[in-house]
Amino acid sequence: MAAQPAIEARQLRKTYTTTRGIFRRERVERAALRGVDLKIAPGELFGLLGPNGAGKTTMVKIFTTLLLPSSGSALVLGLDAVKEQWALRKRIGFVFGGERGLYWRLSGIDNLRYFADLYRIPPDVSRRRISELLERLDLSGRERDRVELYSRGMKQRLHLARGLLNDPEVLFLDEPTIGLDPVGARELRVIVRELADAGKTVFLTTHYMFEADAICDRIAVIRDGAIVAEGTPSSIKTVVRDQGIVEFEVVGMPVERLAGLRRLPGVTSVAISEHELAQVVTVHCARPAEVMTQLGVILDGINLEKVSSREPTLEDAYVQLIGDSQ
Amino acid sequence: MSRPGAASSHVVYGVLGGGLIGYWSVAYLDGGNGIQEERWNGTLEQIFATPTRLWVILLGKITGGLLFGLLAFLPTAAIAYLGFHAVLPNLDPGRFAISLGILTFSFFCIALTLTPLFALWRWAFSMLNGFELGVYILCGFMFPVAVLAPWAQGVAALLAPTWAVRALYASTLSGGPRDFVVWWLATIGLSLAYLAGAYFLYALVERKARISGQLALA
Repeated sequence: MAAQPAIEARQLRKTYTTTRGIFRRERVERAALRGVDLKIAPGELFGLLGPNGAGKTTMVKIFTTLLLPSSGSALVLGLDAVKEQWALRKRIGFVFGGERGLYWRLSGIDNLRYFADLYRIPPDVSRRRISELLERLDLSGRERDRVELYSRGMKQRLHLARGLLNDPEVLFLDEPTIGLDPVGARELRVIVRELADAGKTVFLTTHYMFEADAICDRIAVIRDGAIVAEGTPSSIKTVVRDQGIVEFEVVGMPVERLAGLRRLPGVTSVAISEHELAQVVTVHCARPAEVMTQLGVILDGINLEKVSSREPTLEDAYVQLIGDSQ
Repeated sequence: MSRPGAASSHVVYGVLGGGLIGYWSVAYLDGGNGIQEERWNGTLEQIFATPTRLWVILLGKITGGLLFGLLAFLPTAAIAYLGFHAVLPNLDPGRFAISLGILTFSFFCIALTLTPLFALWRWAFSMLNGFELGVYILCGFMFPVAVLAPWAQGVAALLAPTWAVRALYASTLSGGPRDFVVWWLATIGLSLAYLAGAYFLYALVERKARISGQLALA
């Protein structure tokens, strides 16, 4: 990476300190980031994946100057997010997922005008930009309605419009599609991809593997405040390259039967999830065909349904990387 | 109460006291409530992360609160005035207006100083009512500060509105001390001292908020 990175973290650490108790106050420390190193090139669409509490939002908040790290450095566009926050805030945008973060009793256009003022955008520029953003994000015609009348998808598009008001060079998106219906989420992903194609650097956190797989140039997986894998989606999948996945559904299977599956040669992990009344069992293994033949023996007397074998996905790689912390 | 045309001090306190309480209540609570509302809306972080300083954003909110407070003062005072069938024969309109303007400035400075605390410490919001009521008593909104215990008078002397309120009442009554310039200067001086403290307080709040991450609801 020859050019100056758009976003860079060097040994970034954040520990939250709180106290509990009234008379004997006790300090409680929780490490959210444990020495993260990261470099993101200009114009890259970078995805950060991880379970709840892994440190994704903490990292976004440090880069967007909302939080101070405990140690290490966070640079965005070469500016120190700790000390040069005023210069940095003019050049970045951010969007947090969910419906909050907007003034519901104001109209969409008034929300945008207010934030345009806070970003000190000259009135003639803000008028033009707001009009363009309303058009581009399909909010034209409803801009004078109160935000409380907007659908969730419209609110999220308004969030994105607010994040783009200052025409930022770097855009931070923290789970922007959370809670959106599939169509709304897909529309938002298309817009995000277009922004990256137009040259903006995008830092996206998400829970959805297919989302990261579909639009990100590069991704990192974070677990317990540390990066455990980093690369392109296809390179991340190589974690499970030599593996296949066997999946099947059963009803009322005793848990001890899983031990038999785990003992089979080549099996690296067995995960079980509930799906209505059934249990869906996912087996990561080196030789799927052998596992499928052994299933009947190990699960003798149990009604097996929907037995299938498939190629590993990014989600499988993620599950493998995150392991038991999920 | 007194007959019309011969307003005594307790009538004047009755006429103006209600209006002053309404004014202070709206002006002061608006700032604290405003911050709490921003937190609940999830907009506190959004505005904090813009290139505009927090005090500038709050300045606009507090000015709006003062305007609403002033709108509360005028009708409240008018209703009390009409309700008591009282007149203020000794009203000095010029000094009254100046005193009200300086009182407004002191309210503005207190609100600007205290409001960032609500951004930083959620528990500060629960102290809101206590301070609001304390100011009613200590600053002599409803009765003269002279009737308070000596220690309370000492605390009252450190509160800028005390002196402006004294000037406001004196501008409606005949007799008694008439040290308007001293009272006005005391109000302005104390208010400016609050502002000086606020300068450091804002820097502290902005730093603490970035360490603790307490701007978000959860």
